[in-house]
Amino acid sequence: MFTRDMTFTDVERLDRIAARAVETFVMDEDAFRAFYDRTARSVWSYLARITGDRSLADDLLQESYYRFLRAERAFDSESHRRNYLFRIATNLAHDRHRRGRHSISVPVPAENEPGALMDGSDLAGDTERRADLARAMATLKPREREMLWLAYAQGSSHEEIAESLGVRKASIKILLFRARRRLAAALGGPSAFTRSRA
Amino acid sequence: MTLIECPRESDVLDALASQRWPHRTNQELVDHVASCDVCRDVLAVAEAMREDHDATWREASVPSSGQVWWRAEMRARHEAIRAASRPITVAYVASALAAFVLIAAAVWLAWPAIHEYVSAMAPLQAPALTSPLTLPLLVALGAFLIVAPVALYLVLSDE
Repeated sequence: MFTRDMTFTDVERLDRIAARAVETFVMDEDAFRAFYDRTARSVWSYLARITGDRSLADDLLQESYYRFLRAERAFDSESHRRNYLFRIATNLAHDRHRRGRHSISVPVPAENEPGALMDGSDLAGDTERRADLARAMATLKPREREMLWLAYAQGSSHEEIAESLGVRKASIKILLFRARRRLAAALGGPSAFTRSRA
Repeated sequence: MTLIECPRESDVLDALASQRWPHRTNQELVDHVASCDVCRDVLAVAEAMREDHDATWREASVPSSGQVWWRAEMRARHEAIRAASRPITVAYVASALAAFVLIAAAVWLAWPAIHEYVSAMAPLQAPALTSPLTLPLLVALGAFLIVAPVALYLVLSDE
């Protein structure tokens, strides 16, 4: 704003301010790019599943990394950094949920997507099972979806889940048990056990 | 009492993660899962979620790290400049308001002299100036002439 009336000194001053803004990022470009390459797909998958909306996951992915870069805090470890990123992503998804975009649709693979590179029967079965899961997930509370995804899709420990969701570690065990029981019941039909053994 | 966890959960998850479940798992674990509610739920949920996770992972089409870094850099710069420019905006608005108040006060104070001068110059039009609405209308017109360009400037300068 008002750049038309700015003097050269003003422009220089604002340029310095802008450069300083980037210097406050929690990591430099090389470190960020390596961290992003290690985590982006996990974060996107998490966002896509807990929101049920791929385009929203795209938006929230960018926003999550931006907020992470502006975090103004130190991280002890890769795990701490990663959990903090998931916490940002979770909070952003909650904000969107509160603002009314909370449809949990079924993100099934389209035929031309890499996930669809399998034979016809596998594809049909895979798509059906994923649709079942999405429907079952939609019956859960957002917190339950997040917890289950972190625990069973990503293999996070209770401590990591607590840190990512901002929940006390002592509560994770019981919350996870309830969520798991609800999802197993919602999945219904022949259990994974019988399906696997068939 | 309902059990909320089972010591064999990690064995079930390990078997799933290493793709040993169900055909390359020892029979004792299979029998245990068949009889344990907790492990059966763990298996049902973990199997479905891992399958979905793997498929979602393959489908994920995320922007490149360079692109995300560049966007973040641009946004941080833009936000910093906006924040730094805010005091200038406040100064402009304050100046416009001060100018308006000064002009309104000057018109108010000079009004008897203006009225006298205009009456002397144009005696036929004088009744219009004696109307009680004339002064507020003139002040509003003056304010509009000052505020409108400033407002227009503020709006257009955002672009």
